[in-house]
Amino acid sequence: MSAFLTYLLNGLAVGCAIALIASGLVVIHRVTGVVNFAQGTFAVVAGLCASSLLGLGLPHGASELAAVLAAAVAGLLTGLAAVGRPGTTPLSSLIVTLGVGVLAYAVEIVLWGDQPRSAPGLAGSVTVAGARIQTQHLLVIAVTAVAFAALALFFGRTYLGKALTACASNPYAARVVGIDVRRMGLLAFALGGLLGGLAGVLVTPMRPISFDSDVTLIVNGFAAAVFGALTRPVITLAGALLLGVAETMAAGYGYGSHQLEIALGLMLVVMIVQAGRRPAISQEPT
Amino acid sequence: MMLGRVAVPLAAAVTLALPAVLDDSALAVYVLLGLAAMVTVGVSLLMGYAGQVSLGQGAFYGVGAYTAALLALNGLPPLLGLLAAPVAAAAFALVVGLPLLRLRGHHLAFATLAMQLILLSLAGQLDFTGGDIGLQAIPPFSAWSFEAGGVTAYAYLTWAGLALVMLVTRNVIASRPGRALRALATSETAAASSGIPVGRYKLAVLALSAAFAGLAGGIYCFYTGYVAPGSFPVLISIQYIVMAVVGGLGTIWGAVVGAAAITLLVQGLDRLANLPGMPSYAPGVLSYAVYALVLIAVVLFLPNGLVPAIRRLLSRERPAKTR
Repeated sequence: MSAFLTYLLNGLAVGCAIALIASGLVVIHRVTGVVNFAQGTFAVVAGLCASSLLGLGLPHGASELAAVLAAAVAGLLTGLAAVGRPGTTPLSSLIVTLGVGVLAYAVEIVLWGDQPRSAPGLAGSVTVAGARIQTQHLLVIAVTAVAFAALALFFGRTYLGKALTACASNPYAARVVGIDVRRMGLLAFALGGLLGGLAGVLVTPMRPISFDSDVTLIVNGFAAAVFGALTRPVITLAGALLLGVAETMAAGYGYGSHQLEIALGLMLVVMIVQAGRRPAISQEPT
Repeated sequence: MMLGRVAVPLAAAVTLALPAVLDDSALAVYVLLGLAAMVTVGVSLLMGYAGQVSLGQGAFYGVGAYTAALLALNGLPPLLGLLAAPVAAAAFALVVGLPLLRLRGHHLAFATLAMQLILLSLAGQLDFTGGDIGLQAIPPFSAWSFEAGGVTAYAYLTWAGLALVMLVTRNVIASRPGRALRALATSETAAASSGIPVGRYKLAVLALSAAFAGLAGGIYCFYTGYVAPGSFPVLISIQYIVMAVVGGLGTIWGAVVGAAAITLLVQGLDRLANLPGMPSYAPGVLSYAVYALVLIAVVLFLPNGLVPAIRRLLSRERPAKTR
């Protein structure tokens, strides 16, 4: 029983990290209609930055903050390439973000080499109802909860958040009332970078990260975002937690080598079921 | 098309003559170029004509390679293996395409990527595929009394395969289903309402492009003599997209030009990166950077690709022919 509880709590922590990546995807997709393939890259950039800064002797907190800001800048740059040029279609933007992800490989190898790197996190563990759980995992869960609450407040209670939502629901009407859609798109990319970076600094102490970790991260994040049809953050969070728990359980009960297949299989099933439920007539992109 | 009447025989003559004059290392590039072009023609057909994005074309390439390798290692004649490679890849595409092609746009892109990741992971774990080490000591290609000894033989084999692939594609595009494909790429609803069986045609194109990739994979496994999951990374699928986009989606020659441009560029940089005094990470970094920058630049500034852009330049020089 305590093993089950351990797996469950660890799974929730893994799921929270996935949820942060997925929420970045959702924010960007809601505002710009673009699926950002470089979302995993932001996490990798932040994770590698944090490990370097900590290695240089910077204190905890400051290095993580700097790493997350670096990821936000990376997000802004990605946004400039993907939606900065007017008239880029969402599918072209997807291919551009794919290119940005590959370009980041080159930069990351030059700066950090091609070996996985780790960073020290919160040491120690606590015992909850007979289950041992690492403090770092609790930190991940807490930060994710705060981040999602902040996102909900931001989108629901501030003018800027409402302006972003306006771009999402009707870009034309948003332009009519004087919202700069392009700038909002860039802002969404920066926000996505911030969230991805947050995931990166939290994940790096749990499992070492290397330049090509982004594929696993983005695929998991996309799988979670697909639950919420790439627009609804709360369902995305639920999907991510389910995914994290399912993967950790699979690993815990001896199917560790099939972790990836489980996540991907789940994603495929959800997408196909959703596609089947879609109405026969839908508006096509023009 | 005056241009076509001159250019096609000229291109054919050059391809036939090249293996005789190139040295072995250049021939190796020539073979890889031909194989990449073969897959890219399929990608271009799928993306340009049917409007479907596949990030998993490397999976079909891998299925073809593993099929040919397994058959040849079990004592069957290599010719049979080579013929089975495209058939197996197409059959695999039909099976996975049936559920996956219900998806569109970025969903399909991620689903095909997931398919390749699952396949790679399985190939790395199963026993009959040799796990992470893969399959080794695949016999060289032979048919009847002919045995492919050197690189030259594979060069001819590859480019014969490419010619076949291009011919098939050309005929498909020119046919009634080809026009139907172009229609469904612009609007599936409109295509369906004019009586085009949208689902069946998309599946058929996916299978055809998979068959092209499978054929290339089959030749590749005989050429290198081994296959492993590491031979078919996700990056290889991205590479085919880059080639198709650079050359110009929906043009047969664009696929070949794109494959040639990217292969030669990457090979050239590889030579540069392997010069003494360069850091050990240089080859990887340079090829990643080239894929990325070329892809971004072409998508943003030359969205139709190289071949249509060149065609437009040529037709501008002869204004009498326009309209």
